[in-house]
Amino acid sequence: MHIRVENLTHIYNQGTPLERTALHEVNLEIEAGERIGLVGPTGSGKSTLVQHLAGLLQPTTGRVLLAGTPIHSKGATARSLRLQVGLAFQYPEDQIFEQSVFREVAFGPRNLGLDETEVKARVHWALEMVGLDPARIGPRMPFTLSGGERRRVALASILAMRPRVLILDEPTAGQDPQGRRALWEKVGQWQQETGMTLIIVSHALEELARLVERVIALRAGRVVADGPTREVLSDARLLRDIGLDVPEPVALLQALRQAGKDVRTDRLLPAEAAAEIASAWGLRRAGA
Amino acid sequence: MKAIPIGMYVPGDSILHRLDPRVKMGVTLVLMTIPFAIHSPWSYLTLSAFIATLVLLAGVPPRTLWRTLRTVFGIAFLMFFLYLFTTPGEPLLAVGPIALTWQGVLAAGGQIYRLCLLVITASLLTFTTSPMQLTHGLEAMLSPLERVRLPVRELAMVLTIALRFVPTLQEEIDKLAKAQRARGADFTGGPLRRARNLVPIFVPIFVSAFRRADELATAMDARGFRSTPHRTRMRRLHLGYRDLLAMLIVLGLVLTLIGLG
Ligand SMILES: Nc1ncnc2c1ncn2[C@@H]1O[C@H](COP(=O)(O)OP(=O)(O)O)[C@@H](O)[C@H]1O
Ligand SMILES: [Mg+2]
Repeated sequence: MHIRVENLTHIYNQGTPLERTALHEVNLEIEAGERIGLVGPTGSGKSTLVQHLAGLLQPTTGRVLLAGTPIHSKGATARSLRLQVGLAFQYPEDQIFEQSVFREVAFGPRNLGLDETEVKARVHWALEMVGLDPARIGPRMPFTLSGGERRRVALASILAMRPRVLILDEPTAGQDPQGRRALWEKVGQWQQETGMTLIIVSHALEELARLVERVIALRAGRVVADGPTREVLSDARLLRDIGLDVPEPVALLQALRQAGKDVRTDRLLPAEAAAEIASAWGLRRAGA
Repeated sequence: MKAIPIGMYVPGDSILHRLDPRVKMGVTLVLMTIPFAIHSPWSYLTLSAFIATLVLLAGVPPRTLWRTLRTVFGIAFLMFFLYLFTTPGEPLLAVGPIALTWQGVLAAGGQIYRLCLLVITASLLTFTTSPMQLTHGLEAMLSPLERVRLPVRELAMVLTIALRFVPTLQEEIDKLAKAQRARGADFTGGPLRRARNLVPIFVPIFVSAFRRADELATAMDARGFRSTPHRTRMRRLHLGYRDLLAMLIVLGLVLTLIGLG
C-alpha cells in the first residue's frame, strides 16, 4: 500500500507553555513492500511520525495519504485503510488486557468483524509466526508468561490483523540479546512471507542493515537523510551529527582509510568489512 | 483524551509564583468568598479589576485561561437558564407558564459572572503554585489538626505521591487508547459500547499502577522510609516581606469592598 506524507507538522500542546514541535514539514513517499528503517535520537519525532502513519494523531498541518486517501478523513474507507496499518508501540506488552493469550490475539481480528473460524485461524497463524505454540500458550493467562513471551503475544496480536503495513517502534527495547536476535530473525520472516511494507524504528544499526533497504533519519522533527541503507548508515558525519553510533565495521574501515589504506567505507556488516580488508591486502578469503 | 486544563500549573517566575503557598491559599479562600458577600456594582467592578490585575501579574496566557473557563461552560449554561426562568418578577416575555423576567436576566447574568470570577480565582492559585507547593501549603495549614491525631503528614505524603503520578497516568491512558485503536478498538458509539471498550485501557492501567506502587514502596523501603519520624524539607516555607505586602493589599481590598457594600 502506497504511503505519502505531505508537509506533515505536528505540534504537541499547541498554545500552552508546554508547546513542542515534534515534526516539522515532513515529506515522504513509501512504496508497497518497502523495508524501511527509521532512525534518530530520542525525542527526534520517530514515534510521533509512525503514529501519524497509523492515523492515530491529528496533524497540526499537512496530511498522510494511504493508497491516495487521506487517512484522517471520516467514514468507513479511511477506517478500513487505517486498520491495514499495524503499529506496535514501544513496549507493546503493556497493552495486554485479556484473560487468555488466545483472546488477546483475537481482539484485533474480532474488531475487523471476521467470523470465528477465521479469527481462530488467524490467531493460530500469528502465534506460530512469533514462535509460540498455539495449543500450549493459547489458553494461558498472559500475566503468567515471561516478559519476552508477552512481547511476542503483543506482536502476534498485531500480526493477526494481517496488516499490509507493519510498523514496529523499537521492537527489541528492553529485551535480552538472545530475545533480540530471535525477534530480528522473525521480523525478516514475516516480511518475506507476507510481502508487507515494513517500517522499523530502531537504534540497532547493524540489525537494520541486515533487514532494511532504505533508511530515513530524523533529527529534531525533520528528515535529515533518506536513502539506501548502505549510503545512510555509512555516512559517519551524519550519524555523529544526529547522535548515533557509527557501525563498528564502518568506523574500522574509516580508520584504515585515514591510515592510508585504499578501502571502501560503506561496508556495514562485519563479514563485508572483512572481505573488503582482505581484498585491500590482496588476500583471498577462505572459500572466496 | 485531552489533558485536564483545570488545575494545571503554568511554570513561571511572576510575583504570584513566588508568594508563599500558604498565603496564596488563604488569599484565594478570601477572594472566593467575596463574590457572595458584595452587592453593589462598584464592588464588583473593584473586585474584577483586582482579579484582572492578578491575571496580568501571573502572566497566564489568555488561551490557557479561556480553556479553563470553557470547562465550566456546561454548568454555566444550566445555571443561566435556571435563573433566567425561575426568578420571579415583572415578565418581559411570557410563553404559557414560562416567563422571562427582567430580574431573571439580571440574576442569571450575575450568577455567570460570579462563577467566572470563582473559576478564575481558583485557577490563579493552581496556575501559579506547583502541586508540590500546594501540598506543602496544605500540610502547613492543617498541621494544627495533628493535635487531634489527624495524620496530616502522612496525608500530605500520599497526596504528594498521587499528584506526582497524575501526568504519568494521563500519558499512559493516552498511549493505551492509541495502541488499542491501532488494534481496531472503537471508542465511539453508545454509552454501553463505550464502557465496554474502556476495558482494554483500564485493565493495563491498573496493572501498571499496581506494579508502580509496588516498585515505589520497595524503593522507599530501601531508602529507609518510615512514616513516624519528623521529616525536614528540601524547601522550607518562609514568609517574606512580599507575603506580608500581599496580605496587606488583600486586607485593603476587603475593607474597601466592605465600604462599598
Ligand atoms: N504525548 C505527548 N505530549 C507532549 N509531548 C510529546 C508527546 N509525545 C512526544 N512528545 C514530544 O515530542 C517530541 C518527539 O517525541 P517522539 O515522537 O516520542 O520522539 P522519539 O520517538 O524519536 O523519541 C519529544 O520532544 C517529546 O517530548
Ligand atoms: Mg519513541
